[in-house]
Amino acid sequence: MGRGWRPILVGAAVVAGTFGLAKAQVFEPEAPAGSAVTGGDIYRGEIVFERECASCHGPGAEGGGVGPRLVAAGLDAATVTAAVQQGRGVMPPGLVSGGDEADVVTYVVSLSTP
Amino acid sequence: MLLGDVSETYTDLVTTVFSSTIAAKAWLASAALVLVLVQITTAARIYGRLSFLPERDAAIAAVHRWSGRGAFLLTLPVFFHCVTILGFQTPDTRVAVHSLVGTFFYGAFAAKVLIVRDRSLPGWVLPTAGLTLASMLGVLWLTSSFWYFTTVRFGL
Repeated sequence: MGRGWRPILVGAAVVAGTFGLAKAQVFEPEAPAGSAVTGGDIYRGEIVFERECASCHGPGAEGGGVGPRLVAAGLDAATVTAAVQQGRGVMPPGLVSGGDEADVVTYVVSLSTP
Repeated sequence: MLLGDVSETYTDLVTTVFSSTIAAKAWLASAALVLVLVQITTAARIYGRLSFLPERDAAIAAVHRWSGRGAFLLTLPVFFHCVTILGFQTPDTRVAVHSLVGTFFYGAFAAKVLIVRDRSLPGWVLPTAGLTLASMLGVLWLTSSFWYFTTVRFGL
């Protein structure tokens, strides 16, 4: 086999390794226990949060003037779920629902844990 | 748990500068894309195109090399999060395309690095490999950063 194949073989090995790592998801975070809504994905929740919630709660939930800071606020899943579904203060109810709700609750609980 | 802590530590680190991990990745990938555009421009000059730049100047070659190294380094934090924390996912077309191209990206990168050092290969191989790699980064950027800036938010 000539040297010309070396880049292809090494490249293929790197692709296989990357795919194996990606399938293993070795550092995938665990969903917080006790979620009132289950099956949420933290990463997708972050996207939903930035799109739907950050205008009031600030980017990264650091506080945005209208909504309070949620980082390290010690909120549990039941509290966050209730706020999302029923609203709180000026926050209207049902801003997100379904899968987006589960995702955003999981995300908020994860960053809310001190 | 140790493995869970990696994700938290990553988030803690990137949110010292950016508002969220996704924002960090979007901007790091954008910076890498800018450097890849520098790569394409300098490579075009090295191959005798773009006459407004000095021909075969040592500085052009140095800028080409260092922009490539910089682009590679900028993609590493993105790679780490995408591969080890998010993993290969196919919930919709955008994410599926991103996952698929992302899986092949570092393989193409490794091949390109070896091709650069192998002077026995035909002349068309290196520019083809370089453009393929640049195109892959373009697709990755379009299916992540561009989507984020246009669909979610444009900010740090």
